[in-house]
Amino acid sequence: MVGIVSYGTYIPKYRIKLADIALAWKKEPREVVGSLGVEEKSVPATDEDAVTIAMEASQQAFLRTQILPSDVEVLFVGSESHPYAVNPTSTIIGELLGVGHDYLAADLQFACKAATTGMQAIAGLIAAGHARVGLAVGADTAQSKPHDLLEYTSGAAGVAFIMGSENIIATLRADTSYSSDTPDFWRRDGIRYPSHAGRFTGEPAYMAHVMGAATKLLEMTKTKPADYTYCVFHMPNGKFPRDVARRLGFTKEQLAPSLTVDAIGNPYSASAMLGLAAVFDVARPGDKIFMVSYGSGAGSDGFVWEVTNEIVKSQKSKVATVQEQIIHKKYVDYVGYLKQTHKI
Amino acid sequence: MKAYITGVATTKFGELWATSPRTLAREAVTDALKDAGLVVNKVQALFVGNMLSGMLGGQEHLGAFFSEELDIRAPAFKIEGACASGGLALHNAINSVLSGQYDTVVALGVEKMTDHKPEDVATALMGAGSEEERAAGATFPGLYAMLARVHMLTFGTTEEELASVAVKNHYHASLNPNAQFHNLLTVEQVMRSSRIADPLKLFDCSPISDGAAAVIVSKVKSQKSVEILASTAATDSLGLAQRKNLTELSATKEAAKRAYTIAGITPTDVDAAEVHDCFTIAEILAVEDLGFFKKGKAAAAIVKGETRLGTTKHLVINPSGGLKGCGHPVGATGIKQVVEIVEQLRERAGDRQVKKAKIGLTHNVGGSGATAVIHILKK
Amino acid sequence: MLGQEGVVVSWTIVRVPPTGFSSVAPYPVVIVDLVGGGRITAQLVDWSNDDLVVGASVQVVLRRTSEPTDEGIIPYGIKVKPI
Repeated sequence: MVGIVSYGTYIPKYRIKLADIALAWKKEPREVVGSLGVEEKSVPATDEDAVTIAMEASQQAFLRTQILPSDVEVLFVGSESHPYAVNPTSTIIGELLGVGHDYLAADLQFACKAATTGMQAIAGLIAAGHARVGLAVGADTAQSKPHDLLEYTSGAAGVAFIMGSENIIATLRADTSYSSDTPDFWRRDGIRYPSHAGRFTGEPAYMAHVMGAATKLLEMTKTKPADYTYCVFHMPNGKFPRDVARRLGFTKEQLAPSLTVDAIGNPYSASAMLGLAAVFDVARPGDKIFMVSYGSGAGSDGFVWEVTNEIVKSQKSKVATVQEQIIHKKYVDYVGYLKQTHKI
Repeated sequence: MKAYITGVATTKFGELWATSPRTLAREAVTDALKDAGLVVNKVQALFVGNMLSGMLGGQEHLGAFFSEELDIRAPAFKIEGACASGGLALHNAINSVLSGQYDTVVALGVEKMTDHKPEDVATALMGAGSEEERAAGATFPGLYAMLARVHMLTFGTTEEELASVAVKNHYHASLNPNAQFHNLLTVEQVMRSSRIADPLKLFDCSPISDGAAAVIVSKVKSQKSVEILASTAATDSLGLAQRKNLTELSATKEAAKRAYTIAGITPTDVDAAEVHDCFTIAEILAVEDLGFFKKGKAAAAIVKGETRLGTTKHLVINPSGGLKGCGHPVGATGIKQVVEIVEQLRERAGDRQVKKAKIGLTHNVGGSGATAVIHILKK
Repeated sequence: MLGQEGVVVSWTIVRVPPTGFSSVAPYPVVIVDLVGGGRITAQLVDWSNDDLVVGASVQVVLRRTSEPTDEGIIPYGIKVKPI
């Protein structure tokens, strides 16, 4: 039995309204907000980055459990904004958390599914008896070029899952992955901002891979959407997850608690994980959760989680919920946004 | 055995765009030797006080550097204690004479700061604080601002009272030909100046300056010489967060207490004092910690003009204009303070003369109070 | 120390930053008494003017301490934020 033992999240305090970005570029705010289905996005402080965000989320995860950082035997951090091209984020936070020296650490990149990939790898190591406790973190200060469409949704957040085989709050019942060579969104080495292929990011990319992993997962587990309490999908904007949920046959109610994108945008490798954490904040024992992430390039990781009785104790913790962090916010204007994301 | 200051000199302090550290040192030492009636080959050791030659000028090993420049082929030392470098250089110079090893030595304070970007100078000056303070971006105005905030909350000191320190020191500086500033200031002007680190504003802060000062220390007195009654130093924690009490600079109190004991005097015996007003709050802390005023009582007295030239009370503080009015080339200040007191005691201070000055005191601080050096002098 | 709570003992706002701090200026610097004992000096982040009060509660967080150079190691360190 492998699963999630504890979880922690961190959303930076600052927000910018999509309307303010639109006005800066003399676009019609209502059109932009309407087409993307996102109101505002989270903005990191000038001195925050994937390392500091990963640290906050990880600390929150350890506050909810008796497990100590020194128990961690494998630590993977997935991000699209690792501060170094060569030098691991995972050992910086491992050191600061006090994990010690006896652990396997690695940084992963696969666009927005870098961290969920880490979760599957850790689950495998634990199931094989190769590790007892693992820490999977997704953290991003998502980058986008000013005036590009991505500027409206690229957000920042971090999520940490402590995984193990004891005191599990959510058992991993099944997992799968679907991969292909589909360059819908990429960033060349040494180049500052990512590029994307416009509408190609929709049907042939996000839809094909999320649907691909989802249908495989439903077949493997011989289940139907109605068998699940909740579903979580990667959220690049407000439209795609609602679209794919509907197409697969999930209801609005099943999807609703996970939809963090409307309020904070897309924190890339933390997106699907944040949706799952938001569901954990409200889930009851016995709930089944269907989750599929997406990473451009492209691939999707699918998971079926079954919530256990242990979730009740976890929810009683004083650690801030996803909702509490969403509403704890302060607005910046477009110039402040450019300064805080180091564009000026 | 006693030690005496037998010659003094200082250069002009200010933004000396055309003058190098070599020229500054040469001018100060040549004039000091002339004042003492000495030729350079009588100098048996050279003590140089300086803080920033390495970080700003790429030059360390200043003992050898100035020994060569000044043709003083003798043992030579650079002594560094942040803004107390000058005072510490003199303290060591005096001890070297009192030890009997040397008869006649030079203590030189020199600093060249104006050739660099202000943010680079600020960064270099932060070398006087702790690593934690540097990581926090706590500049020197920032550290003294936090001391000011505590003083204001504890004793009700106001920003206007702080401003009056700068007003007094500019008045004194206007009477000092070597001072950086000759303009008079009003409290309103200080209050309107731009904020540097709340509550300290531009005119609460001493400037970035170039300058040098030198004194000759000898075991033999002369007709013009001044006796060194005491030379003491004390050390406190590097960073403000590690101090026991944020309403005082304990190093000042400790060095002063020992100095008064060694000199056999009390604070009321002091007629003129040059204290370390790197920021207006620093003068208020100084005159309290030196025992001239009770804690929390100095500000009101300063506003009333009790420590200003022409006062009916007998003690004048910073007749040279202090660091604020005269300028603060950091390594030079500690020596310049002694030059000023010597001239006061010799009654050669011109328009700045403190009447009947018999006993003078200098107070030089390093960093936010980690080092304090006191000299007590008598004609 | 990360995550520890503390109380502000004194504060200032640095408006003329040294090298490496201009991107976050103006910024408050505070002296904080930690609840578990000890006193530190640190930058205050995620702040507004209402937070600049002696006695305010803060929490220790990890942040970049100054702007990294193009090729150098990124400096991380202790800062505090209001709670």
